[in-house]
Amino acid sequence: MTERDVDQQLVERVQRGDKHAFDLLVSKYQRKLGRLISRFVRDSAEAEDVTQDAFIKAYRALPGFRGESAFYTWLYRIGINTAKNHLLANKRRAPTSTPFDADDAESFEEASLLREVSTPENELMSKQVVDVVQASLLQLPEDLRSALTLREIEGLSYEEIASVMNCPVGTVRSRIFRAREAVAENLRPLLETSKGKRW
Amino acid sequence: MKQEISALMDGELFEDDVGMVLDQFKRDPATRKNWVAYHLIGDVLRQPDHIHSDLSAKVRERMQDEPVVLAPRGHAVKQKMRTFALSAVASLSAVGVVAWMSLQISPEIAPQMAMQQAALRPASMQIQPNSEDYLIAHQEFSPSADVNGGATYIRAVSYSSDEATLPSKPSENQAK
Repeated sequence: MTERDVDQQLVERVQRGDKHAFDLLVSKYQRKLGRLISRFVRDSAEAEDVTQDAFIKAYRALPGFRGESAFYTWLYRIGINTAKNHLLANKRRAPTSTPFDADDAESFEEASLLREVSTPENELMSKQVVDVVQASLLQLPEDLRSALTLREIEGLSYEEIASVMNCPVGTVRSRIFRAREAVAENLRPLLETSKGKRW
Repeated sequence: MKQEISALMDGELFEDDVGMVLDQFKRDPATRKNWVAYHLIGDVLRQPDHIHSDLSAKVRERMQDEPVVLAPRGHAVKQKMRTFALSAVASLSAVGVVAWMSLQISPEIAPQMAMQQAALRPASMQIQPNSEDYLIAHQEFSPSADVNGGATYIRAVSYSSDEATLPSKPSENQAK
């Protein structure tokens, strides 16, 4: 079972009327989609609204999604169209002169353009979250930190990580979970205090 | 359950457990919090410079006004049925062709056919000198006639070349 299969299972649940499943997809893709949309819509508040619109459009269009492409490719396409339509409605041009494809969305790196225009409060909150995650990662034992880094940053599968770390796949599964849980433990107080504001 | 959620988001959960974990998300809102936190950690590690706020609460709020989407079951089911039907028809056709061919060569007919073929096999034999005229006269019925094609005809013409002088005899007579 791949990540794409998990997405497909969630999509099928939404198609059977399960709104909770769509909520999980929103949680998973909101930042990736938001980052993509902020490539077109510079204003952070506007980009946030457009991202929400894109998710609602995707929800409405889901009955027609047949799984011929990956869900995220399909979602990114909706995101790009929503952003472009938003700019057209406001008679503004997309801040790019080159064709931009949904498939390239994840690999596109242009930090100066991608960085959203945030309010000081938002920036502070973001910084706190980033600091907590990075500090927690540094506190982890070496084997847990390596497993999580290889998974999240390098994108390796459990089998590949097992090969790199010379340990069984079950150990990799356990190490990644323990690493995530240790970081999440430090993050939860921050997420709960800022509930309803940003996170 | 947390370990299963961690494996699920990486696409590394055992297939049999996926349904159980997804059902748990519906039953227990706390499991969703873990899903959110784990994804946030991944996003921070990959893109620390670009962390968006959690939009899911706002999207959820807006979705309350949205009707529940229901994909026509026909879509997926019809597609699967069509694939199944096509492969079934192809398989049945193949079986039918094989069955028809095997009926053509049934155990009763097969020995007869073998005997007929043996009978048709060209036999090597010494040709008697006195049978040469017979063979020439009947060579058009020989199985090898088809293979020789025009050769038979050429031989017949050369054979009848002596006869071709016959029409000149009357003319000789006329000259006389």
